[in-house]
Amino acid sequence: MSGQSKSIWDTLENIPREVLYGILLVVFVIPMIFPLGLPVPISENVRRWHRTIEALPPGSVVMIDFGYSGGGEPELGPMAVAVYRHLFTKGDIKVICMSTSIEGTQLWDKAMAEIMPEQRFGAEYGVDYIHIGYIAGTETAMAAIGKDLRATTSTDYKGNSLDQYPIMDGITDASSFDLLICYTTSGDMSEGWVRQWYTVYDTPYMCSVLAMMVPTMLPYQNAGQIISVTSGAQAGEMEGLVGFPARGIKSADVITLTHLLCLVYVAVGNIAYLGKRFSGGGK
Amino acid sequence: MSVTMKKTIPVVIVAVVAFIVMMDYFLVLPPINGAGKSWTSSTVTDLQNWGIILTAFSLGFGAVNLFYFHSKHISRRTPGQWMYSLWLLIVIVIFTGIGIFTGPNSYQYSWLYNASYFALSATVYSSLGFYMTSGLYRALRFKTVESGIFTIVGLVVLARNAPAFAVYFPVLKVWGSFVSDVLTTSAQRGIMIGGALGAISLGIRTMTGRETGFLGKMTEEERGGGTE
Amino acid sequence: MELSLVIQIWMAAIFTIFIYSIAFRDNNLFKFAEYTFVGAAAGHSLVYGVDNLKRYGWDNLMGGAYLYIVVFLLGILLYSRYHPDYFWVSRYPLSIMMGLGIGLSMRAVVTAEFIAQIKSTAAVQVLGVTDPFKLVSNIIFIVLVVTTVYFFLFTIPKAHAGGLGVIPTIARYGMMAAFSYSFANTVLSRYNMIFGRLNFLYTEWIPLPGAIIALPLVLILLIYAMLPPEKRPWPKKE
Repeated sequence: MSGQSKSIWDTLENIPREVLYGILLVVFVIPMIFPLGLPVPISENVRRWHRTIEALPPGSVVMIDFGYSGGGEPELGPMAVAVYRHLFTKGDIKVICMSTSIEGTQLWDKAMAEIMPEQRFGAEYGVDYIHIGYIAGTETAMAAIGKDLRATTSTDYKGNSLDQYPIMDGITDASSFDLLICYTTSGDMSEGWVRQWYTVYDTPYMCSVLAMMVPTMLPYQNAGQIISVTSGAQAGEMEGLVGFPARGIKSADVITLTHLLCLVYVAVGNIAYLGKRFSGGGK
Repeated sequence: MSVTMKKTIPVVIVAVVAFIVMMDYFLVLPPINGAGKSWTSSTVTDLQNWGIILTAFSLGFGAVNLFYFHSKHISRRTPGQWMYSLWLLIVIVIFTGIGIFTGPNSYQYSWLYNASYFALSATVYSSLGFYMTSGLYRALRFKTVESGIFTIVGLVVLARNAPAFAVYFPVLKVWGSFVSDVLTTSAQRGIMIGGALGAISLGIRTMTGRETGFLGKMTEEERGGGTE
Repeated sequence: MELSLVIQIWMAAIFTIFIYSIAFRDNNLFKFAEYTFVGAAAGHSLVYGVDNLKRYGWDNLMGGAYLYIVVFLLGILLYSRYHPDYFWVSRYPLSIMMGLGIGLSMRAVVTAEFIAQIKSTAAVQVLGVTDPFKLVSNIIFIVLVVTTVYFFLFTIPKAHAGGLGVIPTIARYGMMAAFSYSFANTVLSRYNMIFGRLNFLYTEWIPLPGAIIALPLVLILLIYAMLPPEKRPWPKKE
């Protein structure tokens, strides 16, 4: 009898990973094929982000760091697209982009292909938005751009002179910017912006990082150094606020069901462990 | 070559450069040129631009190391390995060739990037999600007080992170906020303060030559000539 | 749809499926994709390294900033680290990079990660707070910050012994909660990424002609590749 009980607990405690992953994949795929339309709450951080952009006066200049890599694109890409759409919808906001990530310019091109600034918002490259390229050196690059942008770079990401673009008129250093936004897969990058721009020039700063990096950014937000820390996983919430549902909102059903599955897995594992322990099977 | 050339002068360079950068931030010096910049400001601007170029040079280390390591496998025809090594080097050559000759923002390079590197990078990052799943199945157990805290907080946050749960069970928002705004922020702040003190002491040790790890491999002469 | 775009999507989809196969078992197709990834990463770094050198170095040099010749020489000297006798020459350009990094981080870390954090903790209100939940939260906040700093600062055994041992114990509990939050958020992050790739397969690859037939064939190929070498007719293990 106890031998059979032990066997059940052993089986439950050692479910093969192929079974775990197989069930996980099924739970991923089903809501993708049959969307459930589950509700998505909007968190205070996302609302604060949205309010900050809404409060930008006309003519404001925003610096965006496309600092994420291809690995983070599925999570941060939708957030970057939603925020760009918000900035373009607001209008009369100059958006200057740079990349501290080596894949940043490629991913920016990807985002622009999704946003279609000229076709959907009447925005013009070089007048309303621009990308000044990937600059190696992480914090060195941040400090260099903040100190003297024109001494650091004189071309956009395609190698054309910055002087020909009206958007760059009067842009010299960090003091030329009203807001700094960073998307990054690396917590070090975001901390670098706090050290090199917020601390030195008091530039208002918001960042969107991978959900796993949010805990390391929370102390900065709590201390007022970062206005809002969001994760790319909250892209659906941003899309809801901005009014452009896209990839972010699609993930909500999947995330809800897969997290429910995680809770089931934890419950099964603990039931098996405690059952084995109390039936005398082990510690 | 003396220890002075190999060890002392590089350490002095570190100290001088770091000192100039910090001087520019902490001191307000009179301008020396028409642009209204002090000598530290001009020097730091130049140093930062130099740093960008030196970092650009260092981006080639990955490819050089891979060539060095994998060409050995190819020349030795290591069974079960050499074909993969050869393919890896071919990929480096293809990427480099197309990228340099057509430009990194050309249609051809972007096509290659999206067809291979982007897809691979995104998938490699995401594949860790499977290991996280088996990790939470096996690790989130009520075994000790610490693991119990880990499990309870993990369960609360997993439930909170599911968007619909937070709508149907509003109490999860309260618990989730407590975990993030109180428990996590405070612990992370403590870690950050400790880390900041460590970074400051490491910086001072490096500037004074007590920390020589950045010098790489050192000869007996250099080790003997160093200070503790 | 353009043929080049179709081929691009097919390649990306096949690579995606190959990489995901590692979750089940190591196999040659995963290794092929893995080595492609490593090679692509190295090649990509090289491409943008050269691009940066041209845009921030060469163009300035050609524009009259002849001091950049020194920078280029220093950059080339970085590679002397591979020489068995003259590896120490690479320490010179490295020292400049180190000095810059130390100066830039140290000048701000005191303010950003030390003073600002302490100020913010000291500003947490305890007296005069009427909401009991808020009061308890604030007290826990201050206690955890102080105990965690104690945990990392005082590492001598005496500081963790006897009655003082309760301080690092509280810190450990707080850090367990923080790490658990990170862990759960990591699960969220990775699941979002998995969704992104599966969404790509579902919305961009599957609708292409032939993809719905190719999918089971690729999976059969992968299962075959996952078989132990002695159980499959080809290729044999060397």
